[in-house]
Amino acid sequence: MKADTLLIPQETEALISGCEAIAQACRLADVDVITGYPIRPYDTVMQAIAKLISNGDFDAEYIIAESEHSQFEIVKHASAVGARVFVGSSGVGWFYAMEALAVTAGLRMPVVAIVGNRALDDPGAFGVEHNDAMAVRDLGWMLTWVDTAQEALDTALMAWRLAEDRRVLLPIAIGMDGSYLTHSQVLVKVPSQEMVEQFLPPYNRGELQLHPDNPITIAPQVNEDWLIEIRKQSDDAMRRAKTIIPDVYADYHRIFGRGDSPFFEEYMMEDAEVALLGQGTIAMPIKVAIRKLRAEGQKVGLIRLKWLRPFPTAELQAALSNVKAVGVIDRDYSFGSPFHSGVLATELRSALYSLDKRPPVVGFIAGLGGREVTAENVIEMSNITTQVAASGKSDTETHWIGVRG
Amino acid sequence: MNPVTVEVVYRGIYQKSLAQRIGRGIVLAARKEGKVGVSFGRYGDSPERNGIPAKQFAIVADDELELQITMARYEPTIVDITIAVDDTLCKGVESWAWYGTQPINKLLHADGLLLVTSIHSPDTLLQWVHRQPYEYDIAIVKGPASLSGLWVYKDDHTDVRVLGTLSRVAPQLFGMNALEQAILQEWNDNLKVVSAKKAFDRAVTRRVRSEEGNPAPVQDYEKPKYWEMQEGIVVKAIPVGKGFRGEDEGGFQPERNPYFKKYSTRTMRPVVDFDTCVKCTLCWLQCPDSCFDVTPEHLYDANMEACCGCGVCEAVCPVEKCVTMVNETAFIDNTSQYEMWKQDPQAYKGWVQEKISQEKPVEHRSHGFRYRGQYQEEIAAMQKEEEA
Amino acid sequence: MSFETILPQVLEPFRGVKRVALEEYFTSGHRTCQGCESALVMKLMIKAAGARTIVLGSTGCMYVANTTYYTTPWVVPWMHTQLGSSGSAALGTAAALKALMRKGKMREEPINVIAFCGDGGGADMGLSAISATLTHRDYNCLILLYDNESYANTDIQLSGMTPYGAYTTFSPAGKAKRIMHKRWKKNMAGMMAAGHPECRYVATVCASYAVDMMNKVRKALSIGGPTFIHSLDPCPKGWDYDPMFSHELGELAIQCGIFPLYEVEDGKLSFYGQTKYLVEGRTKRKPVREYLSRQGRFAHFLEEDIEYFQQKTDEMWEKWLIPGVIPFSNA
Repeated sequence: MKADTLLIPQETEALISGCEAIAQACRLADVDVITGYPIRPYDTVMQAIAKLISNGDFDAEYIIAESEHSQFEIVKHASAVGARVFVGSSGVGWFYAMEALAVTAGLRMPVVAIVGNRALDDPGAFGVEHNDAMAVRDLGWMLTWVDTAQEALDTALMAWRLAEDRRVLLPIAIGMDGSYLTHSQVLVKVPSQEMVEQFLPPYNRGELQLHPDNPITIAPQVNEDWLIEIRKQSDDAMRRAKTIIPDVYADYHRIFGRGDSPFFEEYMMEDAEVALLGQGTIAMPIKVAIRKLRAEGQKVGLIRLKWLRPFPTAELQAALSNVKAVGVIDRDYSFGSPFHSGVLATELRSALYSLDKRPPVVGFIAGLGGREVTAENVIEMSNITTQVAASGKSDTETHWIGVRG
Repeated sequence: MNPVTVEVVYRGIYQKSLAQRIGRGIVLAARKEGKVGVSFGRYGDSPERNGIPAKQFAIVADDELELQITMARYEPTIVDITIAVDDTLCKGVESWAWYGTQPINKLLHADGLLLVTSIHSPDTLLQWVHRQPYEYDIAIVKGPASLSGLWVYKDDHTDVRVLGTLSRVAPQLFGMNALEQAILQEWNDNLKVVSAKKAFDRAVTRRVRSEEGNPAPVQDYEKPKYWEMQEGIVVKAIPVGKGFRGEDEGGFQPERNPYFKKYSTRTMRPVVDFDTCVKCTLCWLQCPDSCFDVTPEHLYDANMEACCGCGVCEAVCPVEKCVTMVNETAFIDNTSQYEMWKQDPQAYKGWVQEKISQEKPVEHRSHGFRYRGQYQEEIAAMQKEEEA
Repeated sequence: MSFETILPQVLEPFRGVKRVALEEYFTSGHRTCQGCESALVMKLMIKAAGARTIVLGSTGCMYVANTTYYTTPWVVPWMHTQLGSSGSAALGTAAALKALMRKGKMREEPINVIAFCGDGGGADMGLSAISATLTHRDYNCLILLYDNESYANTDIQLSGMTPYGAYTTFSPAGKAKRIMHKRWKKNMAGMMAAGHPECRYVATVCASYAVDMMNKVRKALSIGGPTFIHSLDPCPKGWDYDPMFSHELGELAIQCGIFPLYEVEDGKLSFYGQTKYLVEGRTKRKPVREYLSRQGRFAHFLEEDIEYFQQKTDEMWEKWLIPGVIPFSNA
């Protein structure tokens, strides 16, 4: 099946990029309203969608907005009326929509967005960094990272199911590493419409729907007597989402045969003494490196985090309680944070803090701006982590890997 | 000395500057006696709207530590002195949705002081001021309410007259010497000192017993728990209205927001002479608050639960004296005028004449405000004296 | 070129005050100023549109003053949107209705979509979104800009629509600078009409002429495609005058020629009411002094300021290619 026809009539294998896979997911999910705005590298998804629509293979209102702020505001409002929506951006484009992102979560609109992770300006750069999507982690957005085009398609389908669940109603951003995922063409299994219909119910806002048959006022101005209660509702929703994620994955697995280990992928973790943790496509060189290290007798494993929000605290505690050290590889930065660590390292330290026996966390920053993280880089990081494990002491240094100088 | 907390309850925007001046004046005068203080508006009132009741607070204490005790709460829940700079506020104050009309003396504790600018006597005001289960004092600063606009302030010395009265009846705040110094420092105006001193001389308090006041029940409200609130920041819309008084006999009466009635925004209310109405529809059409109920014969009854007293109806009515704005203190309750007229048109006619005769025709309006304080005539006289 | 669109509602004009619908869809119980013309605009707008309407309200006075949680004065469905989002809100709502109806997920019927914004949210921040929406012939919606000539909700700051010299908290008249705001008001309606030839309907209205205003709203909702209405709303708080004069000041703005009443329907320009008489030469413009002297926000004006204001207003009428609408002239 050729990629440029882009119409796959039943579960079949196709050679497509992550962006094209997402476009297939939109088609299968019968998304109603999509807005686009050009920015690399996510916008190939919008190009793929445009082709599907113009060839009559997918029916949706497809609007090219005049800015990202409008782009995200349009789908937020479409969602209020009961339309299933899809949207996306990258880097500073995502930031241009920041006001819309905040209010979408506050309004409990189940917008599904992809973030083609890209470095923030300045300087302008197309290469992958995760700070764009991460910036909304406090606001009520659910955040997930995928590492293959297959996972992108599967996660997108799960995202509508999860976001639109009446117990949740929170937006979901799917982080896809720019270039690696967005543009590389790989073999992907695309499900059939019938299978998807078994899995994905229609979107129904019920008494929250904005329609003349259900006259409501959505989001009147509040004063100090109301807002903390409204925030608590969002808190509850996120907590519920955490309990629902495993159910969604289980159901997906039942129908499609894919989608196990909901919160993170564990690779060679069964007897690992040293764990490496990261998210996104960085998993590939890490796995290659781990196989090499294992061949030399080193017991190293990988935890590839899938969900940053809700953060799988208890699950990570369980998975890491027996390792001697964890090396966290952040493809992001957080200048001035404790220990000047990246976001994942900071969050993991916080997550492990309540354990009686805490493995030391070693922070690494690598791969910024699309810099390749090679297997050699990973071995270097693994060795540092192993040394920390041997010393038994914590390491408060944040190691920047691959910087000249 | 315990900290003294003062609240100034005022008509939003119209009396914003006045309330701020009083608040500042209190703190500055107290400072002259070595005390410390702070003056601030209630954040929840912001942005203020024309006529909607708002509050300014001033807190005075002997030292910083004492001051912090009261500052630890953002908004005071108990005050020692309540100053109402428009006596129509004595009917009750509804400043935000859901809380209902609350008594003017709600925050005032026992033995506190209620100070009101008014041309009426305490007995008249006590028809409306809600009954409290304790005693307190009431004092009047004689004169009509002083209303101004956002940009152009009309100084009629109400501010210093209130301060002057305080220096007599609430000396724990500050005395006249301190006040004089503060006035000169802040405004550099001897005439204002004269006004303050006159107010000092005229100040008189009267004890209010616990059986005095308006016995009407006050709206109670219990805010819902967070899980009782609909998700998605959603509230149900107001239903569509029906015929007049909900009947099927014609006309139209809108359903109204039951949790924010806005009638406590009124300083004046329209009095309608149904006999002379020509049913031009303009009052009903041009009312920004949709307060007119359309009767079955297509007359227009200003619903007193909804009217906020803007006066547009009087301005657009083409018939002389068909709609006339009259000060709110001329009325006891929110009874429908149409119903009064239907019941006894002759008596109603007399009632209308009596009410509108109390209003002086307003000749010159500099930027249009009706009330600039009667006291301005005294100021003019004082100025003449000064020049002579 | 055919534009697939859901047919809009058919809303006939009200033939006179006595035939105006009695139903209120924006009712009492909002926290607006006494005499708030913008609140009147809300009332008239939705009275004209009727029950099968969805309203999107962007941040501003008509949001914060009108809707105070846990209550509302709205009878029709209403949703908050962001300051610069009225264009996007209208577009998103209309697109969703269209998609859902076409796919059979929602019963097909013409539902009015109205997004309102203030002058700050419309002429400043949200200009690009409105502009984009007015190019989308496929979607039926009305964007109504209520212009009280300031960012009023934040306690009156100047916007791109604030008149020359007006006192606001960002442009106070002080000892060193009497006039801090030297900019002239943007020509919003003319800009929208001239810049978006695909937009079938652009009009200016004033609530002082209530029936005219409501009929223009009805026309905008019936014509199909995206439409735009600019309403001038005297603001007793920000302009500083006794609220009973809100109605009169609206009329005065038009009689002085400061705010022209017109509509552009499918490219055809028509003047209305007092403006029509001015254009036809049947009446003369009142001197702007009459309008300025009624408002506290111009209380600091000297003769030279009033003269400047008069001169700029004269230009609009004497030098513009189309008086009050299009400012070009031949070189």
